Parts: sequence; structure tokens; C-alpha cells
Amino acid sequence: MDQLFQIFWLFIKVNLLSTSGPASVGLLYHEVVGKMVTESQFVQAVGLSSVLPGSDALQLAMYIGYAVAGIPGGLVALTASILPPTIIILGVTMVLHRLRREAWVGNFVEGLAPAISVLMLFTAWKIFQKGGATGWEGWAIGIVSLLAMFLKVPERIVVIIAALVGGFFLS
Amino acid sequence: MKPLRFSVWLGLLWMFLKVNLLSPSGPASIGLLYKEAVGKIMTEARFVEAVGFSNVLPGSEALKLAMFVGFAAGGIPGVFTALLGAILPPTVMMLAVAAILQRFQKETWLDGFVAGLSPAVAALIVIVAWEMFRASTRKKIDRRAVIIAALSAVAFWIEIPSPFVLLGAGLLGVFIYGRRSYG
Repeated sequence: MDQLFQIFWLFIKVNLLSTSGPASVGLLYHEVVGKMVTESQFVQAVGLSSVLPGSDALQLAMYIGYAVAGIPGGLVALTASILPPTIIILGVTMVLHRLRREAWVGNFVEGLAPAISVLMLFTAWKIFQKGGATGWEGWAIGIVSLLAMFLKVPERIVVIIAALVGGFFLS
Repeated sequence: MKPLRFSVWLGLLWMFLKVNLLSPSGPASIGLLYKEAVGKIMTEARFVEAVGFSNVLPGSEALKLAMFVGFAAGGIPGVFTALLGAILPPTVMMLAVAAILQRFQKETWLDGFVAGLSPAVAALIVIVAWEMFRASTRKKIDRRAVIIAALSAVAFWIEIPSPFVLLGAGLLGVFIYGRRSYG
């Protein structure tokens, strides 16, 4: 029960402080890795949520919830991720005309964005370092992936190929 | 609150199931949703407004966009229908895959997968971070965004807990971006 409450609070917090799935990765990493899930489970969660169709944020949340406390954990994580945006949208649609003049909400998120970007860079580095393959193979996969995504190759294709390369050559 | 006709309800649900089965993430779903919704459910101007608000408010952007479109189609009941359609596909798939994967945590081939996955996931995060930073500065480097980025880098470096750093960055945004109107 205590664990479920922890998951609930965690995802409420994460969903109040980030605007999309990928953006929540940085914050989530700091909050869960080492405490609730292992580094390896976290990498699986991010990889899978970018491969499977549907909202990344929800899938990431559910995977972590499931890893910690099974199906109930997954459902609690889902509920906690849905609550903040739902309540906000219901509120916003009612006061939309007023909120338009309230610039501070937009400014809050505008200030959030650069900080989240930096947090994500820190997280990317940590994931890379602890991912196991930090020899030349790791650098090769990382650099090729970066180039591929920069050239607009769909992310899920890159992620699947990287996992397969790892499965065949690094195990 | 007007009652939603069953056919409208079903149409909405089907639309969001489709969009969420075909697109891997929020930003990717915008294009699909645009084709499905604009002209039929809402005007282009309202759709653009919905995208804007989804980016600005906290929480998963795919969900927020879905709920805005749902609201335009059928008020509050439409919001919940859209939510249901957007949640079902990822929930069912993720729980199934998570259940299967948890059984293989001790297998060596999974270690190989993760070893290959880690650098790619790191690259993915770098790309998204870059895109996000660029979007926040509207394609040109904004001095204020750089200041916030630099301050946050220092804060993360000296290991201030990340929720506090983000909260601080948001508050800083409120002050240094001043009053500006949206929409």
C-alpha cells in the first residue's frame, strides 16, 4: 500500500513538472533509478515506450509502475499520470477566455523548458555511462543513433536496430 | 452539459483508438489528428489553439490534445471519451509487454539488448532535449533561455533535487519573461 502511494505521488509530481513524455525522462530517472527500478529496467522502459504506439509518457509510467508493484502498480502509475492533465484541461476549457490573458502559466512552462533540456542531457550521459557498453561499441551505437535521428530516421526504427545489434553482438 | 449521442460517442472513441494505435508519441499524433479532426470536428484555428495549449500546460501532451478535441466534439462527455480512446491502446500493450519482459530479466540476451539500447536511448534523449530547447527559444537563441539553462546546469551539478530545480526554473520564467498574452 505504501509502495502504491509512493508511485501515485511520484507520477503526480512528474506530470505537474513536465509537458510531454520524453521531457519526463530526465526527472523520472532521478526519482526512480536506484530507488524503485534498476538502470537496466529504466532503459528498457524508455526504449519500449518509444517503440510501442501510443503516448510515451503513459507507457513509461506504466512500465515503471508495473516493475515496482505489478498490475496494481501499473494502474496506479497510469491514474496518477492522467489526473493532472485531465483536471487542468477540464478547468481550462471552462475558463479558456480568462486564461488567455494569464500569461504566467505560459511563462512558467517557458522557463521550465531550458531546465528540462539540461536535465535530459545529464540523464542521457548517465544512461550512456551505466548502460554497460561504454567501450567503442557503445560510442559507435550512440553516435550512429544520434546521426540517424538527426537525419530524421524514425526513432522507433533506430531504437529497435540498436537493441538488436546489442542482442547479437554484446551479449 | 448535453448528452452525447451514441453514434458521436462511438465515432470519437474509434478516432482516438486509431490515432493512438498509429502514432508512437504526442508530437507524432498531431499530424494524424489534424487530418481526422480539422474541418469535421473543429476549425483549423481552434485546432492550432489546442496544440498551443497542450504544449503550454503540464502533463502528457498527447492526452491534453485529445481532450481538447474531445471537448470540441462533445463537451465534457467528449473529453472523457477522448481520454478513454487515448489511454486504452498504450495501457493494454504496455502492460502485456511489461508482464512478458519481467520474466526475462535474468536472461543474458536481455542484457545485450539493454547494452545496445542504452546508447540509442541516450541519443534519443539528447535529440529531444535539443528540439525542446530550440522550440523554447523559437528557433533563435534567446539570452533568457540560455541563462535559465546555465543556472539549471549548475544546480543539477551541485545535486540540488531535480523537482526543485524545475520548479525554480518555471518561477524564474514567470519573472523574466514578464507579461505576455497567449492565444
